[in-house]
Amino acid sequence: MNYSLGIDVGSSYIKMALIDYRDGDSVIVDIVNEKIRKRNPTQVIEQLEQEIFDRHNLKYEDLIYVASTGEGELVRRKRGHFYSMTTHARGAYHFHPEARTVVDLGALFSRAITLEQGARVRSYAMTGQCASGSGQFLENITRYLGVTLDEVGTLSMQSTDPSRTSGICAVLAETDVINMVAQGIPTPDIIKGIHLSIAGRILKLLSKLRVESPVILTGGMAMDKGLVAAIQEEQSKKNMALEIYPSEHPMTAGAIGAALWGGFRHFKLAEKAA
Amino acid sequence: MAEQHMTTEQYTAAIEKARALFEDLSYSYAKEWKEQDPSRRVIGYLPIYIPREIIHAMGMLPVGIFGAGDRMSIVKGDAFFQSYICHIPRTVIEMALNGNMDHFDGFLFPSICDVIRNLSGIFRLKFPDKFIRYFDLPQNFDRKVGGEFYRKEIERLIEGLKALNGHELTTEELNASIEIYNYNRRLVNELSDLRSDFPHKISAVDFYLVLRAGGTMTVEEHNQYLEEILRLAREVDADPEDKIRVVVSGAFCEQPPLGLIKTIENAGCYVVEDDMQLGMKWIKTDIPSDTDDPVSALIEAYLDHSEFSSAVYEADNPKGEQLKQQVIDRRADGVLFCAPSFCDPALLDRPILEQAMDAYHIRHFGFQYHENLGQFHVIKEQAGTFADMIKLWE
Repeated sequence: MNYSLGIDVGSSYIKMALIDYRDGDSVIVDIVNEKIRKRNPTQVIEQLEQEIFDRHNLKYEDLIYVASTGEGELVRRKRGHFYSMTTHARGAYHFHPEARTVVDLGALFSRAITLEQGARVRSYAMTGQCASGSGQFLENITRYLGVTLDEVGTLSMQSTDPSRTSGICAVLAETDVINMVAQGIPTPDIIKGIHLSIAGRILKLLSKLRVESPVILTGGMAMDKGLVAAIQEEQSKKNMALEIYPSEHPMTAGAIGAALWGGFRHFKLAEKAA
Repeated sequence: MAEQHMTTEQYTAAIEKARALFEDLSYSYAKEWKEQDPSRRVIGYLPIYIPREIIHAMGMLPVGIFGAGDRMSIVKGDAFFQSYICHIPRTVIEMALNGNMDHFDGFLFPSICDVIRNLSGIFRLKFPDKFIRYFDLPQNFDRKVGGEFYRKEIERLIEGLKALNGHELTTEELNASIEIYNYNRRLVNELSDLRSDFPHKISAVDFYLVLRAGGTMTVEEHNQYLEEILRLAREVDADPEDKIRVVVSGAFCEQPPLGLIKTIENAGCYVVEDDMQLGMKWIKTDIPSDTDDPVSALIEAYLDHSEFSSAVYEADNPKGEQLKQQVIDRRADGVLFCAPSFCDPALLDRPILEQAMDAYHIRHFGFQYHENLGQFHVIKEQAGTFADMIKLWE
């Protein structure tokens, strides 16, 4: 029994992945993601941990490595921490060994990461402090529009005449949206406009790096098929000739990557000690 | 289990004591100390090194002035310094003009750089009734040149302090002070070793606060405090984490905010050696405390047993070699060059030190800060990827 647990503490969700190293192979045996809402993140982490332990009849001491990523300081019991870029790269690579570039579409930041062989990070770029390219911004907008995050993708795909918002500033973009609602612009066109603005920011991020195809999308926003379509559409317009698609389990890619690097590190340390 | 819980609580309470002193920009400890006896005098000193033994032997309290960090808004300070000057002199003058240091009788400005020298001039103009001294530490380590120069500087300091309380310094008094500070240095070294051996038992922030308390308390109380911290930290039951071990270099004068030190640790790095508050560790050995000429003992300690620093010119510049030795001694995985923006000494030395680290195949990366920095995201990214790189691919 060689279990490694990865805990990705985001600003909106806690994600966890349990990996079992069997016969030289790594098998994902559990994946969890839970919205924090207005709870204490550390308590949510401990509750989720306990649920996983109960499901697999484990205790903390049985794990070969507990790795945090994201806001790791909120994880009280762990063996190590890996940075988000490293873990998202590893998580995407696990499902897509063909990956040359990974884009983590997170709640507060987006990061573009180019890979070398074996999920090693070659270079990266991330959005600045402006929130208008983030999942949190999209979530705020859905509240103004009275729709749920689950509906966003489908609505965006129904758009016939997208209405673009400011791609620079979340405050201006939110004002744009309020004006659009007042003007009676259909919700699908507003959402598609927002998706295109976010897509524009992501492509700018990619243009900062020597990006190679395929580009794998991770993070919560990679589950938004409207945004994925907008990114594909915008890159096609710009003739970037990139193959871009979401990772399997995009939301938990960071947690999976953390668990995998944790396992790797455990065996590396054991080898050093031997 | 209950005993362990109690130790952890005691340890936390002890650290909180140092944190309270750190947070107190009114220097209340010095004020209360002075109020107990009208003959007492308080002498503030700036980074890096001052022979505190002399101030102590004169019956005075040496108090470290390390800036106000991120705990004070600058209103007046910016009027004295251009935008391309580091941050620490702004908060120091701001505190002084706001009356935070009215109970200080004098201020010593060691020769770190031109900015601190100019700050001494500003103090002289703004506070003509206080004892203000630019304390010129020698840059020449030849006994006949730097040694003699330093002797005159120390004699001038003793005369200046004597004018404040009329005390005639005796050999016995200075020897006794040297002995007390020797013990302080031994305890600080012991704590440094403990942190390097068990960095999970005393965090970089805790270590910083404990040392910083030494710039506020009497040395006698700090010695007791260090003994207590050493005892408690040894007993604290904490699990080590899988982090890299780093030496932090370049933060000897303007101090990084606590949030930055915490960020480095949270990003996956154990700080096993650093040059923050370097003056507390400046003399690396015991100073003889039974001689007929304790001033000479202080001079020789400075000339022969000083810590290396960018504030000191060394003709053949062995600093790269000394930094490498620190890395080896502390079994560090790499070096974080962490210097304040516009700090000429640190930033001018950085390329030399980086080249030296490259030559020795020691991993490193560098960034800049200012004492009131509030956003650590970029530094967290850099330190985090640096730690990952070493853990996963070295």
